[in-house]
Order: sequence, then structure tokens, then C-alpha cells
Amino acid sequence: MSATATPLSPRRPRETAGSPLLLGHGRLPRVLAGTALVVLAAVWLLPFVWAIVTSVQSEQDVSKPGLSPFKGAFTLDAYRQILDRGNVPVWAFNSLLIAGLVTLITVAVSTLAAYGFSRGTFRGRRALLAVTVAAIMVPPQLLIVPLFKQMLLFDLVDTYAAVILPQVVAPMMVFILKRFFDGIPRELEEAARIDGASEFRVFWSVILPLSRPIVAAVAIFVFIGAWNNFMWPFIVTNDSDLMTLPVGLATVRDSHGVQYVPGMASALLAALPLIVVFLFFQRRIVNSVATTGLGGS
Amino acid sequence: MTARSPVPAPPPASAAVSGFSRRRLLGAGLAGAGTLLAAGSLSGCASPAAASGSSALSVWDLFQGGDGLLMDDMIKAVSEEGRGFDVDRTILDWGPSYYTKLAMSAAGGRASDVAVLHLSRLAGYAPGGLLDPFDLDTLAEFGVTEKDFTAAVWARTQHDGTVYAIPLDVHPFIVFYDKDTADKAGLLDSSGELASMGSPEAMLDAGKALAEASGHAGIVFGHVNDTAQNWRLFCALYAQTGAAFTLPDGGPPEMDVDAAIRVVSFLQQLFDGRTNPNNLDYYAGLTMFSSGRGGMAMLGEWELPTLKKAGFPLGAAPFPQVFGRPAVYADSHSFVLPHQDDPDPARRREAHRYVAEMVKQSLTWASAGHIPAYQPVLAKPEYAALKPQSSYADAGKVAVLDPPNWFTGAASSFQIRMCQPLQSALLGDTTAEKAVRQMVREADTLLKQPNPVA
Amino acid sequence: MTTTAPPGTGPRTGPDTRRADGPRRTRRQRSLSAPGSGLVFVLPFLLLFVLFLVWPVVQGLWMSFTDSSLTLRDTAFVGFDNYAEAFGDPDVWSSLGNTVFFTVVSSVPLVLIALAMALLVHSGIAGQWAWRLAFFAPYLLPVTVVTLIWSWLYQPDLGFANQLLDALGMEPVGWLSDESVAMWAIAALTVWWTAGFNFLLYLAALQSLPTTFDEAAALDGAGAWRRLWSITLPQLRRTTGLVAMLQILASLKVFDQIYILTKGGPNSSTRPILEYVYDVGFTGYRLGYASAVSYLFFALVIIVSLVQLRLFRQED
Repeated sequence: MSATATPLSPRRPRETAGSPLLLGHGRLPRVLAGTALVVLAAVWLLPFVWAIVTSVQSEQDVSKPGLSPFKGAFTLDAYRQILDRGNVPVWAFNSLLIAGLVTLITVAVSTLAAYGFSRGTFRGRRALLAVTVAAIMVPPQLLIVPLFKQMLLFDLVDTYAAVILPQVVAPMMVFILKRFFDGIPRELEEAARIDGASEFRVFWSVILPLSRPIVAAVAIFVFIGAWNNFMWPFIVTNDSDLMTLPVGLATVRDSHGVQYVPGMASALLAALPLIVVFLFFQRRIVNSVATTGLGGS
Repeated sequence: MTARSPVPAPPPASAAVSGFSRRRLLGAGLAGAGTLLAAGSLSGCASPAAASGSSALSVWDLFQGGDGLLMDDMIKAVSEEGRGFDVDRTILDWGPSYYTKLAMSAAGGRASDVAVLHLSRLAGYAPGGLLDPFDLDTLAEFGVTEKDFTAAVWARTQHDGTVYAIPLDVHPFIVFYDKDTADKAGLLDSSGELASMGSPEAMLDAGKALAEASGHAGIVFGHVNDTAQNWRLFCALYAQTGAAFTLPDGGPPEMDVDAAIRVVSFLQQLFDGRTNPNNLDYYAGLTMFSSGRGGMAMLGEWELPTLKKAGFPLGAAPFPQVFGRPAVYADSHSFVLPHQDDPDPARRREAHRYVAEMVKQSLTWASAGHIPAYQPVLAKPEYAALKPQSSYADAGKVAVLDPPNWFTGAASSFQIRMCQPLQSALLGDTTAEKAVRQMVREADTLLKQPNPVA
Repeated sequence: MTTTAPPGTGPRTGPDTRRADGPRRTRRQRSLSAPGSGLVFVLPFLLLFVLFLVWPVVQGLWMSFTDSSLTLRDTAFVGFDNYAEAFGDPDVWSSLGNTVFFTVVSSVPLVLIALAMALLVHSGIAGQWAWRLAFFAPYLLPVTVVTLIWSWLYQPDLGFANQLLDALGMEPVGWLSDESVAMWAIAALTVWWTAGFNFLLYLAALQSLPTTFDEAAALDGAGAWRRLWSITLPQLRRTTGLVAMLQILASLKVFDQIYILTKGGPNSSTRPILEYVYDVGFTGYRLGYASAVSYLFFALVIIVSLVQLRLFRQED
């Protein structure tokens, strides 16, 4: 009754199995808890199931009344239709490109800054750090109006740069990384320094390798945040060919008007990438929530 | 989402794209990314359209459903003819969200080459520099000139004497009627069309006669929680009294309060809740009429495709003249050139040619009920043969649009604010006078806001 | 993963912070010992930080005192006009009210249901992997996917919700079109969408709790229910504080799902303050006024944060 083996992560450690103590040894609490869990999970999975079942039928069949999800013949027409039109692949590419670049730049810039804040002795370090930490309080949504004005000024509206750049400033991530770097014993760097390693080399060869889990955690959350970000990309892109998946799906329409079957099919296609990523990196993602204690920006 | 206009406002969902859009797929995307990475600075990447040097003309509109498919047909027609076009069509949601995106893209300077705009909203776009003017000489080369449009509509295409919009259609608020019921009620003239009314009393009598003939309601009008219907009806009748409604910046609005009260009192009498129901919402009104439980309905002509399926002989007429002069509330889908910082002259010329070719295709557009704005199409025998469209074609000559100001027009908060007091009056929750005073106050509030356009 | 700092312990614990402040220890080393050292590492961040955070914060404040417009005309300084207008604008207050209402009706279940999920999963029932996937998967969905799926569930004629009511012999509900229901419907969707994140925070906290008290109580014969109330839940207090704080701040910023599903309707009954900012700023072109409304909202966020921090500190 401890950890059960799961197909995808056989190396899962015991500690995630939970505490049997919580339920005691009685039979009743176990049955009650099991029932509650199954019901809750069923409720949580229901929207997915409903969407999947809808997406593999025809619009006419789905329009029949009735609670049964299966109302007609199985068909993958909706998926074919979406892939033929080509918008969803373009948006998926944009999402991938934008989320990838945002993650890359954020991680690079934030780890460097965190190292500077952790080990640096430059004047104004404390003040700068304080300002950075204070900036965590600023909700990014507050800035949409001035940021849009700024993008007008730089003539960047409707460019990838406009979507990406404002997303790479992540004071929270700098703070999380700095706290972690602070905890790395200095003795480890001393040796490298004595050998004459440059400061960047110490950062690159000593600090970063020791910080893999936290960097991965930060990267995962920045990526999820950027992949799912809606408001800013929605505001700064008008050209359909520059939109990300969430923005394109919410903004651009079809000459047929509302059709639920292609709607569900495109929703599921858009959902797929991160669900797959989750299946493969489940443990890492779960741990990263614990590690950073926070979600994306 | 009760806003209802030329295109049924759809609930959110559904992904996208037209069959014509030539997707400049991943290659262009990579080009953009490459530019970004290479430049590595704020001078950044242009949109893929510019990056690829593509000749595809990007066009924006807000047509889905029946209108959306007709637009597809028209684009297909102009694309295949002669020199043709390579058109990349983007469809956005009808309503405020479309207009917000249009303004933001124009402010950003990388807008689409051509876009559709309700003429009633021109005053919110042209003065602020969000639209670029048309070159009339270029248009004339492609066979489209001022004389191809009615004066009532052409007058609204301009700001400071410069033309910013080329109308595709006029879509008036009209009456549909069941020909059998109207015949039984004795309302048809010798040619089988709706006879003119001419006075408030005549319309009240017509309502009673229709109610008797249908066995249910006389005139149906759905307005509850709608964001435009009451305003359309009021605006038409108020203009029929000959009074003007003007909105000078800073306020106060200039309205003939007595005339307005007369109109609202008349509407209260007409929709008394017995002969003609006063508490329908848009869909209830539509359903009631299309299921034969009402003799006449006050609706936009864009409901024609829906009503044609109703299964009774459908008649249509311009909104009847009840007061001193004929006037019909209308709007117009028109083509505009959203502002581009650095337009390519050849592309601009193509945009002009595209607009000219599209308005010439408006016979297709007329099948949805819209009146082509381009008069040579109206003169064609094919148009005269379109029934009941040709019965209300004259509405375009007496079209009245929203009073121009930056905050008015289709899908604007102004229309919603005008509708609310009118709805209360029709539901009997307030008097005509109080409703009119409320409308004046609402308009004043909007006028007191600093004008962000001028 | 031994370096993992449990979330429940908040920012105070985790790796020792005091060490960083002892530059003396590296005095003998080259670059970092010199005054000014380390700055170069911070510079790229600083540049972006100033450009895309400090500048807009300052610019937004400045804009809130102007009549800045989305259109291309000139801007003039208007003093406190925008703020005066905002305080007298009923739409500001109603959208603030909607925001607070949403925050309350979404945050409470988002904390409680996440806690229940974590406790149930932590109890060690077989299939850990599947439970975690079921509860956390929605959090990975982009907002539009969530709204597409739920607009279909809420669809008036054919949607699951009304079909279910119909099967139970009940009247259909206008989930997104009835003023008295719409905000609840959006809160329900939000709970489904984001509870998974709070669930993981709780799960991580549970897994790092010391089990000694629990074991001792179990030996003393305390029942499962009793131990939950008197041991586990009190141990989770700091985590609950953190989860609640993050959740309230997140809920106050609601925009995406509401904008996509209802555009703030019906009759503005679901319009949150951020959508009002969008509406007046971009739909209505009045960027200056929108900035002023944003800053009022910012003031609210800061007040809420400070109050929470205060409560958080007192709890210690």
C-alpha cells in the first residue's frame, strides 16, 4: 500500500507516495477518502472527456440534444480541417518560438543577475536588490497601457520583439535564484578562484552546475508562463501571423461562424504540447513548484 | 452579447482562417525570428508580411456566418478574375473587440492593407489619424467615383472634405411582414407591396389590424437587453420628425426634446403589451415573427436569410414613414485603409483596385439582404429580380446614421447608453419624458469626456 | 533535490542568506573583491529591468496625469483630472466590486479544494501519478483552451451543463448570459483551471512535514479525523497563508478568461477592473485615463499585499 509503480516514472522515489498515517488503519476512512478522490478526479477530467468526444464527431451529430456524449459516427474531419487551414500550426510555431526565447533570455539574464547580486560587492548592490524585490509587487497587468505606448514609440507593435522583451524581466526569478546561490558554500568557488578562474568561469563551471534543479524549475515556470500568457501578446499583436496559440484561438474567427467541433479539436491540439511535456517531466515539474514556491509570472 | 447586427454576434469559440489566406507559414516566421536574433536590439523584426516581401493583400473584416461565406465568395471572384489578387483574409469577432484591434493596429502603423468599418464609426477613426485617405483619382481609374453612391451615404465617407471610406453596402433597419397576414389586414397596395402609412395613427391601426389577422401579435420588436435595437428604432422615427440630434464636443447635446418625447410616447402607445408585445428580447422577437405569431417585425435587413426559411410569403419594406418626412436608420459596411506608417505605393494602389473590384461584386453581397452602395449594381436587372431586396432598396436614399462623434456608431457604448432608458420606457418602468431626459444626460456624460481623437 | 526549500516555509528559510553579505571572505580574490565588481553580471538584467519595468511604471504614472490618446494626436498635461474623474466614475467602482467579488468566490474554493485534493492524494491511495495528472493538467492549458472547452460546456442548448439539468428535469440556466450566474460560472471554470497549482504547493508542503507528531498521536490512539484537525492542518498554516496570499493576488488580476468568455457582460456584470482599463484605454482610446485607473488598482493591490504580509507576520 505504499508507492504504486507507474508506467512512466518507474524510478519515482518513495517520498511521493504519501503518508499512510493520515488515514490510520481503519477501513472506513480509506474507502471514504478513495471515493472522494475518485469523484473529484472524475469531475476534473470530465471537461477533457467531453471535449475529446465532441471533437471526433460531426457538427450535425453534436447538435443533437441529449446527455450522451456519443451522438454520431466517429470522424477526424475537424482535425483535418484545422490542420489544412494552417493557422493553428503557425500559432503553435509562434508560441514555441516566443516561449522558447523568453525562457532562454530570462534564464540567462536572471541567473547572471542573481549571481551578481549574490557574490557581487559593487556599490548600490543592496539598493538595487531592494528595488528588484520591491518590483515583485508590480503586477505585469498594471503596465499594459504604458508598455503599449512604449512599443508605439519604439515602433515595435506587431513584432516578435514586442511580445518577447517585456516578458523577460522577472524580478521574482532573480530573487529565487539569488536566494539559492546564497546557500551554495563559498569553499567550492575558492578553489577555482585560486586556480585563476575568471569570475564568469566560476559562475559557469561551479555555480551553474550546482544549481541545475533550481534553474530547471525557473525555466519550467517561465516557459509555462510564457506559453500560456494571454494579455500582453493579445494587446501587442494584431497581425494574425504573429499571434501565439492562445491569442490566435481567442481572436481570429472563421467565415463559418461558431462551430463547436473544430473549436474543441483546436483546443485539444493547443493543449497537447504541454500535457505531453508534463507526462515526461512530471516529477521535475512537481518538484519545481516546491522548489520555487511560485508559478510563472 | 445581445448586440445583433449584420452578422449574428456569435458566442466565443472556433478557430479560424479563410480558405484564401496564403499562409506565409514557418519560413516567414523564421525570417522574423532571424531578424530579431540578428539585430538583437530594439530595431527588431518587422512583421512577416514585410519580411517576406509578399504581395498578398491583407484584409480584415468582421463577417461570419452567412455574410462571412458571401465575403469568401466575393474574394474568390475578384481573385480569379483578370489580374486577380492574392488575399490574406483575417476575420475578427463582430463588435467592440474588432474596433479595438483595428484602432490598435492602425496606431501601431503595421495595420492590414484594407479593413471593413461601419461608416457610423468613421468619426472615431479618421480624425485621429487611424485611417489613411483614399486617392479618388486612383479609384476612378478602376471605375469607382463619387457619382456611383447616393448623396446620403457619400456625405458620411468624409472627414474635413477628405474621403476615408468606400461603402460596400447600406444596411437599413426595416420592416418585414407576412404578405398573407398583411393582405388580410388590408395593408397592401395594388402592386402587392406594403402601402404607405403616413401618420402615427395609421401605424397604430396597422398594428391592430395585423394582430387581428394573425390571431396573435401585430408588430413584433425585440429589444430587451439588446444593445442597439431601441436606438435604431428611435433614431429612425426621431429623424422622421425633422429634428436634429447633434453632439458637439464638451456638450451639451442638442436634441429637440419635444420631438423626442413625441417619438417615445408613440412607441409606448404602439408597444402596449397587448396588440404588440413590449417585453421581447431580440431572439424572442425573431422567433415569434418567423413562427407566424406576428404580422410584422422591425428588424435589420440582415435577418433576411433567416426569415426566408420561415415558410410564409415574406414581404419587406423601408421603415414606414410615420412622421413628417421619410427617414430610415441605417449603417454601411465600408472599406477603409487603416493607417500604415510607411505604405508601399504599389501595394496601396493594389488596395484601391481591390476595393473597387469588391464593390462591383456587391450583387453577391445583396443576396444576404444588404443594399449595394455601388449604384451601378442597383441598376442591374439581376438586382431588380431579387425579392424582397429590391422592395426596400430606396431606403438607401433616406438613410440616417448615428450622429457623428468619436464615441458613437455600431457596437459603441453610446448605443447601449441610448438603449437603456428607451427600454425602460417601453417596459413601462419610466415615462417618455424621463427617458428622453436620461438620454440627454447620458449623451452629455459622453461629451464631457475629453475627446481623445480630435 | 535535497536543496529543495519547502514552500510552506516561505522566503525566510531556504538556503542561508546571511552568508552572501560577508564579502570579507572573498577579499583575497580578484574581480569580486574590488569595489564595483559583480556589476557586469547584473547589467543585462538591469538594462531590461529599467527599460521594461521601471520605465513603464514611471511612464504610466506620468500618463495618468495627461490626456494621452491611442490616436496620433498631441498629449496635454491635465493634472489630477483623470483621478478626479475616476473617483466619480461609477464604472470604476462597479468593476472594482466585480473584481473583489470574483476574488472572494474564486479564492475560497481554490484554497479549500486544493487542500482537499492534496490531503486525499497524500493519504497514499494507489495511483499517485494519475491523480496528480488529473488535478494539475488543467493548469497547463492556455486560457483560450480553457474558455473554448467551457464555453461548450456552458453552451445554452447543447452544452453539458444544461443537458445535465435537463436530464434531471430542471430548467436550463443562462450560464454566461444571466447576470446573477455569469460570475459564478466563471469562478467555477477558474477553480477547475488553476486549483492544480495550489494542490501542488500543498502536496509539496505535506510531503515535507515532519511525521513525528502524527506518529506519536497515532500511537496514543488518536483517529485519522482527529489527527487531521489537531496536527496536520495546524502544521499547514504557513502554507495556507502563502497559498491564500498568492491566490488573492492572482484573482485580483483576473482578465483573460472573462474577456474571452463574456467581454465583461452581460450588462457589465462580470467586467473586472483590468478589463475596464482595457476598455477605456484601448477601445475608448483614452490611455491617460486608463493609466489613472490602473494606478488606483495598483494601490488596491499594494494595500492587499501589505495587509496580508502583516497578517502573515503576526501568525508567526
